[in-house]
Amino acid sequence: MEIIKLIIKRLFYSIFVVIGFSMLIFIFTRAIPGDPARLALGTDVPEWVAEKLREEMHLNDSIYTQYYYWVKGITKGDLGISLNTNRSVMTDIREFFPASLELALYSGTLMIILAILFGVISGWYNNTWIDNVFRVIAYLGIVTPSFVIAIFFVTIFSYSLDILPTIGRLSSGLTPPPYITGLITVDALITGNYKVLIDAIKHLIMPAFSLMMGPMAQNTRIIRSSMIDNLHKDYTMAERSYGILERVIMFKYLFKSSLIPGISMIGACLGHLMGNAFLIELIFNWPGLSRYGMNAMLKKDLNSVIAVTVVYSLVFIILNIIVDIIVNTLDPRIELGIGRGK
Amino acid sequence: MKKLMKFFWIGVFVITIILLNINGIIAAERPLRTNWTWPARIDPAIGVDTTSTVALINLYDALVFPDVNGDPQPHVAESWKVSDDGLSWTFYIRKGIKFHDGSELTASDVKFSFDRLRTIGRGYAFFFLGQEMSAEVIDTFTVNIYLERSSGPFLQTLMYFFILNEDLVRANIEKTGEYGELGDYGKEYLVSHDASSGPYMMKDFSMATSLTMVVNPNYFLPIDPNSPDEFEMIGTTEAITVRTLLAKRELDIGDVYQAPENLETLKNIEGIEIAQFPVPAVWNLMMNTKKPPTDDIHFRKAMAWATDYDTIVNYIWKGSIQARGPIPHILSSHDPTVFQYHRNLDKAMEELKQSKYYGQLEKYPVELHWCTESAEEEKPAMVFMSNMADIGIEVKVVSVPWMLLLKEELSLETSPTIICAGSNSPYAEAGGMLELRYSSKGVGNPNQNEWLQDPKFDAMLEDALATVDKDERFAKYNKLQHYIVDLCPTIWLVDRILCSPFQSSYVDWYVDEPFSPIKGHYMVVRNIKIYPEKKAALLK
Repeated sequence: MEIIKLIIKRLFYSIFVVIGFSMLIFIFTRAIPGDPARLALGTDVPEWVAEKLREEMHLNDSIYTQYYYWVKGITKGDLGISLNTNRSVMTDIREFFPASLELALYSGTLMIILAILFGVISGWYNNTWIDNVFRVIAYLGIVTPSFVIAIFFVTIFSYSLDILPTIGRLSSGLTPPPYITGLITVDALITGNYKVLIDAIKHLIMPAFSLMMGPMAQNTRIIRSSMIDNLHKDYTMAERSYGILERVIMFKYLFKSSLIPGISMIGACLGHLMGNAFLIELIFNWPGLSRYGMNAMLKKDLNSVIAVTVVYSLVFIILNIIVDIIVNTLDPRIELGIGRGK
Repeated sequence: MKKLMKFFWIGVFVITIILLNINGIIAAERPLRTNWTWPARIDPAIGVDTTSTVALINLYDALVFPDVNGDPQPHVAESWKVSDDGLSWTFYIRKGIKFHDGSELTASDVKFSFDRLRTIGRGYAFFFLGQEMSAEVIDTFTVNIYLERSSGPFLQTLMYFFILNEDLVRANIEKTGEYGELGDYGKEYLVSHDASSGPYMMKDFSMATSLTMVVNPNYFLPIDPNSPDEFEMIGTTEAITVRTLLAKRELDIGDVYQAPENLETLKNIEGIEIAQFPVPAVWNLMMNTKKPPTDDIHFRKAMAWATDYDTIVNYIWKGSIQARGPIPHILSSHDPTVFQYHRNLDKAMEELKQSKYYGQLEKYPVELHWCTESAEEEKPAMVFMSNMADIGIEVKVVSVPWMLLLKEELSLETSPTIICAGSNSPYAEAGGMLELRYSSKGVGNPNQNEWLQDPKFDAMLEDALATVDKDERFAKYNKLQHYIVDLCPTIWLVDRILCSPFQSSYVDWYVDEPFSPIKGHYMVVRNIKIYPEKKAALLK
């Protein structure tokens, strides 16, 4: 019940966050120099064509008028037309967002599993050779940019060994499954198209690993430190003195408490996995929202920039809510912000 | 702990199974895979960049089609005639050309497409908006196009006028649009569908990644059985990706935007060659003729004499040739007798001393702007800066993002002294390049930093463009080229060449004849041959 109250309350406040953020981005994008109409049409079209496009986009109106038309459109579910793709931004989001979501889900899942696994093992076997190996992996993951890792993977697995595909979400010649969620692996699973499912997973391996290495390394270190910290606490020594098995101490008593600092970090990392995947999407020709958003910014495609920003802000809000719920589940002592003063 | 490790190893096992999975994909017999900047805009009234043009050339048909010299030849129009005053063009449409849905292409489709292009006003419409024009259906297979003023290059421009299936477009019009009863004029539909008759038909289009076409078995012209049966345009130009795909033979022809360093690496891969082909484009240093010190002709000529063309040709843009005037050599209307500068510091100083700014150069700074997104412009800009230092002219080189460059060029006051930029001739005649670069109608964009605004030139150009007779028109072009070169508003550096890596061991790409010097026509897919058996041998 409290969880539901939390969700409702947070979602209510989020509306104001999104409105404020959209206003900020709206003003910011219009402050950047450049004529969106000319950028979209090129230098050869006559001025009257460019002027017509400016009129259609209300670019000659005041910023308040422009914002009014944008909000009016939003209420009808119309995010405007993209100057880059020449079609509805909503259609673009529907095509590009699932690709980013799918990549983020897989890389996020890998990140969580490996960060917890490596962090716990590293913490448990601290100051042994096992710990040293994982620490080196963690440091390499932190200092190496994701695009360097991506290039390394492409060179080894795609070019030299030729065991993984280089680009895209599916191989040429394969028909994508019917659009249900937009996530090819999920849609393929639902429709029972296992050939497409396996091909899609193969296409996900390199981008997902490249994207998650840095955040995984960071979280490994946080979980490791937390684990070591808890290993030396009095209650752990007490448990040992009672003769409780090490395995039980680790999984029953230390595991949950060691994860708490990591979970918050993981939540932030998941949001970044979606928003900062531009270079990964570029290298693997992944049709994601990050690349779409970057191209929109470079071409001053105003409607697309705002739409992408609003989508990402919603993603971060939802992730923060989920992280708070998980943290509270792990340690009920941590207040959710409900029932203050109790 | 042991459980954890168990799960870990199970995961590794599953992944290995996936990796070893045999790929049972059904592929086309003769696919041609290429890569491009993205996205492709396949609406003939919208697309104008190279990627879109290549897509349009292969999906659609135009009234005329260029030969290897860039001259228009009959295509959808099997013949035409022009009235004596040049104001009425009558086109006789070839019978039996079928759209991809099986319906026949008629004069009505031509009129519809023409009206649509002019009404929407984007894409290649700029060719047809400089004056009043209209199309009239005379009979099922005859259409007239009326002009307000005669136009010699009119036929040339028709190469970019692609014909749509009127019935199909009308059936897919969105009623809520800005064109009255014509709704959105089919714009939403044509973003991702074709309404064409061309040699290739749309199979699959992803705005995010790629466009795939399959051969039209009912095309009105014969298509060689060794031509690709599938043509894929992949939207990436990332160097490492392109290199990997070419090495794995998953890419057959690479893009023209690869850096020289990447091309050097690609040359070393067995079976890959780098095709070099000229295009009707020139790299220029555009000097502002209305701002000091480049408003002085002697100052401009001094800079032209001091530029080290050999270094730029031999070390920066290797394989290119030094430009001779504003018109690239590849165009038949290029005049080879126009004067060409070579580096000569004595002559440079001689001109500089005649300049009113000599002796007070420090009061008149020279700024050279180049486009940040066009990395290849930086090196020639730096060479130029160094060359000018040899004659005591200080040049400041500034990298400017495209957005800002567009804004700078809107007015004379904000335009810099010099811009380094390439110019592409819109069609295969000198008139196109001369109009683009020096006509007063075209000021205010990065195609013109010279701000020439010369009434005499404008009058000569208008006269040349109105001349229907080709030989007469070309003679007038020659006079214009001499006139411009004498004014020296520009330092013409090189005639542009494009370099593209391709799989020469199993792809015959214009082996027998050169490319037509028309934008995008280096990728007319039905003229390319591909041999899968040779590819299979290479992959063994």
